[in-house]
Amino acid sequence: MKTVDISITIGGPQGGGIDTSSNMISRAFAYSGYNVFGVREYHSNIKGRHSYTHLRVKKERPRSLKYPLDFLVALDPDTIFEHIEDVGKGTRIIYDNSIEKSDLSQARMIMKDTSDRIRQELVHSGEQMTVAGTISLMKKKGGIAIPVPFSDIVQKAISGGVPSRYYNTLGAALTLAISGVDVKFLEESIRFVFSSKEKVVEENVSVVKAAYDYCQENKFRTDNLEEIKRTPRFLLTGNDGAAIGKIMGGLRFQTYYPITPASDESTIIEEHEDLKWIESENSKLSKSGIAVVQTEDEISAIAMASGAAITGTRSSTATSGPGFSLMAEAISFAGIDEIPIVITLYQRGGPSTGLPTRNGQSDLLFALNTGHGEFPRIVFSSGDVEECIYDSINALNYAQRYQLPVIHLIDKNLANTSDFIPEIDSKRVKVPQVARIVHSPEWKRYSLNTNTGISEFGVFGKDIFWMTGDEHDELGHVTEDSELRDRMMVKRFHKLEVADSEIPLSEKAILYGPQNADVTFVTWGSQKGPILDVMEILEKEGKKCNLLYLKMFQPFPSEFVSGILSKAQMVIDVESNMLGQAANVVKLNTGIDITRRILKYNGRHMTEDEILDAARTIMGTSQKKIEVVLKHGA
Amino acid sequence: MVHNFKTDLTVDWCPGCGDFGIVTSITQALTELNLDPRGVVAVSGIGCSGKTPHYLNIAGAHTLHGRSIPYATGVKLSNPKLKVIVTGGDGDMLSIGAGHFVAEGRRNSGLTIMVYDNEVYGLTKGQAAPTMSLGEQTKSLTRANIFGKLNPIALALSAGYSMVARGFSFDMKQLKEIIKTAINHEGSSVIDILQPCPTYNNINTMEWYKQRVYKLEDDKSWNPVVTPEDSAETSGKKFASAMTKALEWGDRIPTGIFYQNKAIPPFTKRLAKNVPNYLEVTPAEQRVSTSEGYTVVDPKETFADKIIM
Repeated sequence: MKTVDISITIGGPQGGGIDTSSNMISRAFAYSGYNVFGVREYHSNIKGRHSYTHLRVKKERPRSLKYPLDFLVALDPDTIFEHIEDVGKGTRIIYDNSIEKSDLSQARMIMKDTSDRIRQELVHSGEQMTVAGTISLMKKKGGIAIPVPFSDIVQKAISGGVPSRYYNTLGAALTLAISGVDVKFLEESIRFVFSSKEKVVEENVSVVKAAYDYCQENKFRTDNLEEIKRTPRFLLTGNDGAAIGKIMGGLRFQTYYPITPASDESTIIEEHEDLKWIESENSKLSKSGIAVVQTEDEISAIAMASGAAITGTRSSTATSGPGFSLMAEAISFAGIDEIPIVITLYQRGGPSTGLPTRNGQSDLLFALNTGHGEFPRIVFSSGDVEECIYDSINALNYAQRYQLPVIHLIDKNLANTSDFIPEIDSKRVKVPQVARIVHSPEWKRYSLNTNTGISEFGVFGKDIFWMTGDEHDELGHVTEDSELRDRMMVKRFHKLEVADSEIPLSEKAILYGPQNADVTFVTWGSQKGPILDVMEILEKEGKKCNLLYLKMFQPFPSEFVSGILSKAQMVIDVESNMLGQAANVVKLNTGIDITRRILKYNGRHMTEDEILDAARTIMGTSQKKIEVVLKHGA
Repeated sequence: MVHNFKTDLTVDWCPGCGDFGIVTSITQALTELNLDPRGVVAVSGIGCSGKTPHYLNIAGAHTLHGRSIPYATGVKLSNPKLKVIVTGGDGDMLSIGAGHFVAEGRRNSGLTIMVYDNEVYGLTKGQAAPTMSLGEQTKSLTRANIFGKLNPIALALSAGYSMVARGFSFDMKQLKEIIKTAINHEGSSVIDILQPCPTYNNINTMEWYKQRVYKLEDDKSWNPVVTPEDSAETSGKKFASAMTKALEWGDRIPTGIFYQNKAIPPFTKRLAKNVPNYLEVTPAEQRVSTSEGYTVVDPKETFADKIIM
């Protein structure tokens, strides 16, 4: 059986149907039985600037992306200019032959500094400042140019209309035709994508057929791609995963203020407000939904979600860096008042507005320290789409069990990763019901009489009690008594020790690979997949590798981490930030300094190939303190 | 036994503070409405007004400066069966919390919002609040106030509040009646409550107010209520009259209900159109786990749109 491993980037102007196009490609491969993994990259812009999707197709589930590409599909000149670095030996470059004369200076939507860089590279290579010149450079790198008369093909297929409106379908069709995917699968995905619009379906199918005919005539087609038995799978992004987890986890109230890349999660929850219950549990009384409220700002979002938590409602909010900064004071309030609240923090490139649509992992230290004063919190992160689902259920569970703010970190790269998930297990994680009872008059909301620091929860609507941002007594009234203050501080922090003892290690940190290895990688978040792939490659070369994958940072599994790192041969930290924030947390908790680091903070996703190269560099030097900064990505 | 809506905590407001009259009016209103004490919630921000919930024998949250409205909204929208009253100072509501104050007008969630309006920040030693007039210099100010005066009634009307009123903390009979109307009002209401700060505001004293306040309801033709049956013209006229009265300040200051619009649907009813069973089984009351303790949600059915068959 032939190994299938196809890397594709399809790019074009934002608003030009790139999402639709990559959706068609993913679905067509899925219908042929394959798995597709992808990441979306885009500017903070509505229409016109360069956006692209980077995909990888395999029989088994891909966990990472890589360069060089097998296909670069350009729906506009900008895509050619922007992706010079992604082309290597054998990359097929599919583009509209009418854009060959387009000049770099006319590509006004390319950021000036990017354009200057491209110009320098073309000058350096002695090429013209045009698409043709760039293609020529790509050919020198081993690329195979496939110029296609986009407009002619579309016009032959359909009468009237603006041809460029079908370029995204055409791009998908050419890619799939050349890859040997049966045309019936693309037709099927077109029917799905344009579901109810029969005329649109027909037109797009004609374009597809014309594209396949064109490839046949010009002998662009490779062998037919082997069909595999297809099974139903969920096609989910990280945003989808988090939304699904929350919905399954009993979320009934979600607040948000629009921000990229967090608000997609709230939109997805809103789209599924009408819950479908497990049959045996269904009754008219229990029919329910989720209230999703768009607030006036993020301060309101966290405050409103906290207010809902006080009535016994499982509630949460989702935001990104700037919004999270605004939430700081209310997180501190949730800390002292022991409010079960989940904040899903989608990290993007900071500081300030930073790189609003790009990846980053630079909010870990902030999440650990958000808000004034000292209070317990749980801070943990997800590393793939599946984890997003179950971690989101756990986040709500932790909040309820330990009555504290839970900050769940997801990086932008993961939020915009699309992955095929074979199954969602509704019985993997329990979902406890909030007890809504009227307590006896002796009950005190912040009772100090506990073995765990966890006082029995009560809700507004059932019990009469008070809450205050001031230090308070057991009833919730303001106190400045020096002794009571100490006891309340100790009680609150006791919960964190209990959380540490109760939450299984597998939810905090995981060691992938053998106990003893030549190289130990340390990472968190979306680099998990790429590193696991890198490890497979290195192992084939005889290098023993393992990965210490960190999930929970508060409470931190110090003993476990310390045990692994203290006997490791060579440790390499991999993170999408400048300071190595997780490594800093490791040092703070274990005293172990990880001095070999692979870092990336240009906002683009890390790929298998660049981590591999960097790892080889580090492994090949005797330098004990070394930092490799990854630079790739359009 | 009749529930005592007052806690036995020591009240630490200054002697002569207008806050006493407000708390008394609230407890009387709750008693006269014969409300289930577990069905009413008080939410406040920071400042002297923020202490109010501790003095009320109902569930209470003394939250962050300026944020009482969003906390209260969260309580209300997650359990629309609860009556939620919000107490806040003029600075709390109209300066640091002004964004939430305006946003709640658009939502109309069903909160009873009381603005303790004494024109100063008392707890931090008498700085000028947004309701202080331009050029006024109360005793703790180093210089006269160089900010313009914000008009809470006009702002509340423009923001879309479906009930807007003004009370005076030394007229507890009228204030209590306004509070009762507001609690029974389905949408959100704002009650601007004039009160002296005996420690820091030596200009707008009890006497100063007593010489100026008059009751709108004393004019028998005054009818601020808009019903669903009213024509657009009638309702527009009532809004315009309220706005005209809102601008009255100085020698004569109107109190009473300026505007009450019963035709504007509350946010809870708007949400109910999207969320099944929202009002019948509120988010707070919903079951989230099966008898075995797992999710009640069927992922395959609920997220069928995400499945590639």
